[in-house]
Amino acid sequence: MRGRFSGYLFASPWIITFGLFWLFPLLYSLALSFTDYRLMQASYDWVGLGNFVRLFSDKSFLLALKNTFIFVFGTIPFTTVIALILALLIEKNFKGRTIFRSGFFMPSITSMVVIALIFSNLYSRGGYLHILADMIGLSPPENGFLLSSKTALLSVMAMDIWMSVGYYMLLFLAGLKSIPGELYEAAEIAGAGFFRKLFSITLPLLKPVALFIVVINTIKSFQVFVEIFVMTRGNYNTSTAVYFVYESGLNRFEFGYASAAAYILFLIIAGFSIIQFRLFRQDRLT
Amino acid sequence: MKNVKITAGSIILILCGLIILSCGGNGGQAKLTWWQFWTDPAIKPTIEKMVADYEATNPGIDIEITDLTWANGHEKIVVAFSSGTAPDIIELGSDWVAEFSYNNQLASMTKDVIEDTAGFFGWTPGIYNNEIYAFPWILGTRVLFINRDLARQAGYDDRFIPVNWEDLRGVCYDINKLGKDIYGFGSNAAEKHRLYKKVLPFLWAQDGTIITENGKYAVFASEKTIKAIEFYKELHDSCSMVDTQRRLEDAFLEGRIGVIISGDWLLKRIKNEGLKINFLTTLIPGPNYPGKSFVGGEYLAVSQASKNKEKAIRFIKYITSKENQLAFCKANYSANPSNKEAARDPFFMDDENLQIFVKQLEMSRVPCATPQWVYIEDIIEKAIEDILFNDAPIADEVYEANSEIQKLIDSQ
Repeated sequence: MRGRFSGYLFASPWIITFGLFWLFPLLYSLALSFTDYRLMQASYDWVGLGNFVRLFSDKSFLLALKNTFIFVFGTIPFTTVIALILALLIEKNFKGRTIFRSGFFMPSITSMVVIALIFSNLYSRGGYLHILADMIGLSPPENGFLLSSKTALLSVMAMDIWMSVGYYMLLFLAGLKSIPGELYEAAEIAGAGFFRKLFSITLPLLKPVALFIVVINTIKSFQVFVEIFVMTRGNYNTSTAVYFVYESGLNRFEFGYASAAAYILFLIIAGFSIIQFRLFRQDRLT
Repeated sequence: MKNVKITAGSIILILCGLIILSCGGNGGQAKLTWWQFWTDPAIKPTIEKMVADYEATNPGIDIEITDLTWANGHEKIVVAFSSGTAPDIIELGSDWVAEFSYNNQLASMTKDVIEDTAGFFGWTPGIYNNEIYAFPWILGTRVLFINRDLARQAGYDDRFIPVNWEDLRGVCYDINKLGKDIYGFGSNAAEKHRLYKKVLPFLWAQDGTIITENGKYAVFASEKTIKAIEFYKELHDSCSMVDTQRRLEDAFLEGRIGVIISGDWLLKRIKNEGLKINFLTTLIPGPNYPGKSFVGGEYLAVSQASKNKEKAIRFIKYITSKENQLAFCKANYSANPSNKEAARDPFFMDDENLQIFVKQLEMSRVPCATPQWVYIEDIIEKAIEDILFNDAPIADEVYEANSEIQKLIDSQ
């Protein structure tokens, strides 16, 4: 009994923190999502599913949701494939490998705000990327990549891919290290070439790592905010779901409405995560 | 046992003494809390001196200043109102007064300041439902800045000033022809809270408006709005550098833009950085001279929950007095005091640029004092963004924006 009590005592800092700063806000915001609560408002009413109905007829929210999906499906495949290719290249022993490995990982440990500001300059009129695109005949938007509805979101996505690949490359490297070397030796004895080994050994055994990467990248990408906040402030059709929540909650102080939007996003992320975990489980069973 | 009783008795006596002392310790001293946004080292000492002088001449008053930033000041004020911890006096942006008045967070000061109204500019944003909730302090309007060197190269002599849209169009087009990296006009990117301020003056110049005076009907969809946006879009598409306000100002100062719309902060920048640029300021033209500009500014309000309302209003009157506004404007190189007497001072009248700002202020207007302005602004900016950057049909966007604004009004 005493042992159990001391166990709870030791766990209490986490339990209290969890309850106070995670569980309570989570449940409280769920309750708020069914009300018309606004800051400064003396009273508020229960509106049932009113906020959710309003959201699905709100053009700004639908656009934000659409942009979020474009961001998720437009970045994850590229991030994953590029990270895998880099991991395969860097895994081999060659001189200066550490420099490349550190170089690719560097953006992942740099502040997102710093990167976003640097890229804002690179993308602007007269910025290096703008000049480069002009030189190779890509005819970039006259006023810069971030000041055009056609290129702003794509530009933020490209930056996100550049920034994320290093981290996922490291995860792939860890996965590659865990593949037993004997499998490759046996394959080589059997006369397998590079691609045969890649498709028959490397990729199947990397599947759990790849799925893990896809899951965490999906969650992260659905929550994209800082890049949008720093680079475009949601202008030029770049508003995303979390940015919408921020605008509704912290600019307009419509906490009930913002909570409802946050819960829709939560359900979407939860849905995707469940699907991906099921795939992961199936993979382990087979 | 006896010792225990003596000790307990002593403790109780000491505690009672402390309580009595703490209650009467202020000797009738009233503490006023003031949240304000001026943190610039150039101006903060002036504000502190004003406060120190006030405390010295009003021994019973103690003013406590808290600095806010424009990045999150609005959020802090909303949270303070919601949690009942708002200060006595608050500096507010002109767009916020209606929002806080509507939510019963500000004290009406109509009776106390009604006699002052004739002596000050810019009351409209401070009035909600026919009650005065905020006192105008430092106002800010926008004027036209023209690079004289570029205008001269384009064939305009130094006496030239654009007095109507045709003149403005002409000089912008001609400067734009000067070279590849030279632009006639500086057109704003889709920056929130900025873009509409550059487009709406062209509507106001024709006496157009967004909602009716009684606040019941949206009248944004009009020929005047379409004409205003058509003119701005023509400049935007044909002869403009399009960028953020800061970058446009940089380009103007580097001699790459001929004409931009900007505020007194640009004058301050030119002065503080000692920039050698040959420029002039002039009134924003209308289709036929004169035009109108946008005006916003800083307002001082008293919290509804304040226990020292009367003292707070007296302090506001002191801060907005002629002497203090002059001291403030000189320290900050601000062009638009709300105090009319201050605006007539030689400091403004002898400076040709500051004089233009004072004149423009008399021909400026605020969008509309409504608690829903934050939503209306969003709708208008979205429509303008679609028109300028996505080539959406002007009339369609304007009529759609109008119907959204009307829906908002009806839902209130």
